[in-house]
Amino acid sequence: MNHETNPNASSETRRSFIKTSTSLAAAAGLTSTLSRSVHAAEDNKIRVALIGCGGRGTGAAENALQVDNGEIELVAMADVFENRLSSSYSRLKENHPNKVDVPKERQFVSFDGYKQAMDTLRPGDVAILTTPPAFRWVMFKYAIEKGLNVFMEKPVTVDGPASRKMFELGKLSVERNLKVGVGLMCRHCVVRQELLDRIRNGEIGDLLMLRAYRMAGPTGSAAATKKPDDMKSELLYQISRFHGFLWASGGAVSDFLIHNIDECCWMKEDWPVEAVASGGRHYRNDCVDQNFDTYSIEYTFGDGTKMFVNGRTIPGCHNEFASYAHGTKGSAVISASGHSPAKCKIYTGQKMTRNNIVWEGPKSEPNPYQLEWNDLINAIRKDLPYNEVERGVKASVVTSMGRMAAHTGVRITYEDMLNCEHEFAPGLETMTLDSPAPVRANAQGNYPVPQPGIITTREYGDS
Amino acid sequence: MNSRIFRFGVAALCISGSLIGSSLGIASAQDPKVPADDGTIVIPDAVATTQEQMRRYTELIEHSPAKIEMIPIPSGTFNMGSPEGQENRKADEGPVHEVKVGPFWMAKCEITWDAYDVWMSDLDVFYREVNKVKATKRDELADEFQKSQPTKPYTDMTFGMGKHGYPAICMTQHAARTFCKWLSRKTGRYYRLPTEAEWEYACRAGTTEAYSFGSDASELENYAWFVDNAGEGYHKVGLKKPNPWGLHDMHGNVAEWVLDQHTPEGYSADLRTENPLLVPKTLYPRVVRGGGWNQDAVALRSGAREGSTEDWIAQDPQSPVSIWYLTDALHVGFRIVRPLNEPTEEEKNKFWDYSEPIQKERSVPLER
Repeated sequence: MNHETNPNASSETRRSFIKTSTSLAAAAGLTSTLSRSVHAAEDNKIRVALIGCGGRGTGAAENALQVDNGEIELVAMADVFENRLSSSYSRLKENHPNKVDVPKERQFVSFDGYKQAMDTLRPGDVAILTTPPAFRWVMFKYAIEKGLNVFMEKPVTVDGPASRKMFELGKLSVERNLKVGVGLMCRHCVVRQELLDRIRNGEIGDLLMLRAYRMAGPTGSAAATKKPDDMKSELLYQISRFHGFLWASGGAVSDFLIHNIDECCWMKEDWPVEAVASGGRHYRNDCVDQNFDTYSIEYTFGDGTKMFVNGRTIPGCHNEFASYAHGTKGSAVISASGHSPAKCKIYTGQKMTRNNIVWEGPKSEPNPYQLEWNDLINAIRKDLPYNEVERGVKASVVTSMGRMAAHTGVRITYEDMLNCEHEFAPGLETMTLDSPAPVRANAQGNYPVPQPGIITTREYGDS
Repeated sequence: MNSRIFRFGVAALCISGSLIGSSLGIASAQDPKVPADDGTIVIPDAVATTQEQMRRYTELIEHSPAKIEMIPIPSGTFNMGSPEGQENRKADEGPVHEVKVGPFWMAKCEITWDAYDVWMSDLDVFYREVNKVKATKRDELADEFQKSQPTKPYTDMTFGMGKHGYPAICMTQHAARTFCKWLSRKTGRYYRLPTEAEWEYACRAGTTEAYSFGSDASELENYAWFVDNAGEGYHKVGLKKPNPWGLHDMHGNVAEWVLDQHTPEGYSADLRTENPLLVPKTLYPRVVRGGGWNQDAVALRSGAREGSTEDWIAQDPQSPVSIWYLTDALHVGFRIVRPLNEPTEEEKNKFWDYSEPIQKERSVPLER
């Protein structure tokens, strides 16, 4: 259960794949790509472009450069913030001086910088998409056109229209034999994989319930304060506080809870069909973002099994960041705290005490953020089937479904979420620095927030 | 009104609790006992100019219910290090040499999340905002070391082991140092990490054997949380027997940051005899003392030293890695001291509060 497999996968080598995709590129009129591709057939170096140079993007690029199975090099970077790009570049260059070749002419600071960065690659190279998720489908679409393999961070979509587009793009990328990793790295964790085998083998009996928690203080940019007066662009302000704006990130639910939701669904080997949820805004102070402070989501699977998910971003309270499974015979820790190490355990019965442990993972666990890259690059070099998009979209839709249930106060099914027509940010493909921001503050400086029970067919109203 | 009495550690006058803060056990500068000029909470027992005047007191953190009990440690001379021949002694624990340390107060317990989180999660600022309480001058001074410091963690730094009453963990030495600077500004009293010499002096509390209760490791479970009795994680502070000077958990529970650079070869390179401090010139290794909940008895000895390593931050998925959080140091916390003789600002900047390399925040989290 390492990865989902592509039944249509060929056994072509990377080299022959590059030849194939060269003709695709040529057919698309990308002649400049053609000349580079001829060169590509002569070496095995994988070139990487980093698009979205924040902390996670920089970390992902480092993981990429640390894969030790052949030449790999970072050759281009793009972001909408110059300071993000330059600090990311300095860091990567310092740590991997021989694997970073990104001169100024391959550093792109603009909304279409992702195109320019990908234009420096050849088919078969890798684009890292680590911008806020709103832009994911736009950039993935271009990467497919360029015949690029892709690593994209989670979540991969935040609303219905983007999810439907991403499913289609995912299918296209499978058809073109592109290798696509989605940053749900817990699925690459070897200890969790063993836990899943044990659950399948009936070690906790029939699975009855799953629980997941991410209850910490304010996280990321979710608690966004007003735009500073000296920051000119409203659009850049919203992107820089992307956790605070639902169009950009899906907010605290989508960005923070998806891993725990996904790993629970993985252990269940199914996706829930509906969600009911509650939540609210208790402390606001001078925050103007669109998030609730607390979320409690009850998911139901097709067989009636329940999954309870709790998120809280209030400081000073009890902290828990973990996932658990409960069965008829016993219970299990899916992840103990944070995402890694997982510290998986199986207990006899429901009381999770030391004496009741019947199995626990090893003391030392390999870092799943590295494993997901080892697996992706290995699949590229050996031309193994490797495409995580469909799974990534499903995890994103399921997460959004819980969020929408909380924000509307309505029971939301998987289909309700997927088919929801509310497009949070129309016009993303053509967005420039001068475009209007997708949400606007009212005269008091507040952005539209969810109104459960009042606004019930979409998650927030117009400004 | 019991909370008031407890807060001040003295039989405070029972004045009607008309303020939100005092009725909730929240330390407040608006308390009638407090001078209005700079907002310092006056704690009579914390006032001393000579060693003889030093008393136990309870430090308070404004706009929060957190408390830190402080115990006076008189100056003295002791033999630092473990003697050759002591069972399980390691090379970095010697040579034994005589060291003199000046008087200081030391926290009776390891710093808990209750106190650390006020700084880390800005709980006092949050309290002010929620309740529309105006910042005092002391608040404003302290804010320089707060708000953007530290960056907010992406994970639960308690690692599911418990929060209220439990020791804070996983902070870098820089974070612990910055907490002390913040606390000093906040309270108007100078706090810092102990030097390694002060820590060992206080831990030994006049004893010379492997532990402050003797050499018999079978007694350790009465005094310490360690691998044999801790189970899945750390425990609430102050539950085990204290050492002869009334300090709890010097052995075990969490290993504690001190100010010094670690010297794997031992003390031979620096045998200063009075208030020694080896100012760190590299990020790793720096010293933690006392051993933690997941370590064995050997690591808990009074003379045992542990040097920090990059493994302590191995799981940080961000790059550059945080200067505030050690994702993999679940056994590392700290306690604070307050020297009776406060150094000058110049001495602090050059010595007590100084280390290299200078820790710089990674790219500003929010663009302007």
